[in-house]
Amino acid sequence: MITLRGLTKRFGGVTAVDDLTVEIRPGQVTGFLGPNGAGKSTTMRMVLGLDRPTSGAALVNGRAYRTLRHPLYEVGALLDATGVHPARSGVAHLRAMARSNGVPARRVAEVLDLVGLDTRAAGKPGRALSLGMGQRLGIAGALLGDPPVLLLDEPVNGLDPDGVRWIRGFTRRLADEGRTVLISSHLMSEMQQTADRVVVLGRGRLVADAPLAELIATRPAASIRVRGPEPAALAALGDRLAAEGATVTAGHGGLSVAGSTADRVGDLAYELGVRLHELTAVAPSLEEAFLELTAASVEYVAGPTGGETR
Amino acid sequence: MTALPTLDPTRPTSRPAPAGHPLVGAVAAEWTKLWSVRSTWWTLVAALVTMAATAAQLAIYAVNANTDDDPTVDPGVLPVGDVVAGSLELTHFVVLALGLFAITSEFATGTIRTTLRCTPSRGRVLAAKALVVGAVTFGVGLLLGGVGAAVARPVLGEWGRAPLGGTVADIVACAGYLALVSVLALGLAAALRGPVLTLTVLLALLYIVPLSLQEPDLTVLTRIADAFPGVAGGHFLAGDTEPYPAAVGLLLLAGWAAAALAGGRWALARRDA
Repeated sequence: MITLRGLTKRFGGVTAVDDLTVEIRPGQVTGFLGPNGAGKSTTMRMVLGLDRPTSGAALVNGRAYRTLRHPLYEVGALLDATGVHPARSGVAHLRAMARSNGVPARRVAEVLDLVGLDTRAAGKPGRALSLGMGQRLGIAGALLGDPPVLLLDEPVNGLDPDGVRWIRGFTRRLADEGRTVLISSHLMSEMQQTADRVVVLGRGRLVADAPLAELIATRPAASIRVRGPEPAALAALGDRLAAEGATVTAGHGGLSVAGSTADRVGDLAYELGVRLHELTAVAPSLEEAFLELTAASVEYVAGPTGGETR
Repeated sequence: MTALPTLDPTRPTSRPAPAGHPLVGAVAAEWTKLWSVRSTWWTLVAALVTMAATAAQLAIYAVNANTDDDPTVDPGVLPVGDVVAGSLELTHFVVLALGLFAITSEFATGTIRTTLRCTPSRGRVLAAKALVVGAVTFGVGLLLGGVGAAVARPVLGEWGRAPLGGTVADIVACAGYLALVSVLALGLAAALRGPVLTLTVLLALLYIVPLSLQEPDLTVLTRIADAFPGVAGGHFLAGDTEPYPAAVGLLLLAGWAAAALAGGRWALARRDA
């Protein structure tokens, strides 16, 4: 359980996180979404006690991170920078982490095995690790204390498709085991695959906090794309559809029809003798819903200054 | 693949923490980190070479001064401990790098974030680093003192003496001096973050400011200079009785180290990592 209460962080005159109140619950993967610069990483750093909140509180299992004596047993984290010294081997890095919290030494081999890093790769110095290996090493470090709470900042960044699939399955499993899993991403499409719930940030403000299914339900309605070689005939088809109550917009060398079905459009075209080259039902992606959400927040916040800062 | 211990949803949110004080773990982690980068070993090699070379050079100077035509500058028969203490003037810069880089390298590479995640108490992190840096530089000091004495003794020949008790005491004093100066460097580095700035401030505290104060030869200014860590350490190493007993010099140096640590802790707690 992660509790954010009125969490606010200002850097000079810039408000990076603005009065954020959210609860991240156990047993599910919570996607932490927002465009780059929305305040996701700053929030995570405050949860981990690295940045001090200007006001408000970030609590892990009801306690401030800085008061934890053996935090690796409570919270595991992967930050954007994995924090491995360039000259230190991955194994030594994990060993030092384990020792700091009294984690048994054999656990190092266990977590390396869990994330699929062999001893040869883990024996390399930090500077020789690829981005993907670095991410896996970071996750290994997060799992050292077998913690009930996990924070992963952009875990799929720089991973190959294999790695991406692995992260998805892995985080799913961690949540199914009853852990609290918070994953940040600036890609909605990524969350569509993994998250049960999404918390969306825009300019440091909470834009949405809802189950993924709910967010999908509220996304813009599906539309139908119609293309054909005869503009006049298409226009006639458009008029007929509009007369039936559909919303028709022309463009892209065809029509975009909302409020109807592909079946109906196809039947009408046959009836009117309109030649079609394309008839596609377009389901708007969650990405669009997300962009719409955050765009609104950007407008709102940027109002008085005209959005010059970004 | 090892199966992850399965957790049920009713799992308590706070798990039994391991026994043992977290400071013990923090010290163990610092120890592991120190010895798992090659630069630590190179620093040791550099310190040994510097010590051997400087001790030999100072011993040669002493012999030359005793055998030249100007008897007024004759140092006479020297205890090797004096040569060892004199060699520290140069060698301590190599050794205090251990204290300096123990934290500046963490800021530079971002590993400080890992360290603070493992040990969120800033005071504990700094205490662990101070214990490890202090212990290691003390041990290194003993080793360097032994090497310096072993090199200086044969070079000094008839102009040197090495009474066992006195030499051991001198070597232990050198080790203590190195440990305190290194912890001073650590504390300053924690507060100032960058190695260049830290080194500049260290040079100012150890040499530039006290030397400038001593320059006009005014009693007041010289007394002030005596309170600076480098001068205090010098009085301690020389076993002086004036302007204060050697033990006071040691205490003054320790006070500087403690103050630097306090400043470093304050800065660590206040700043974002």
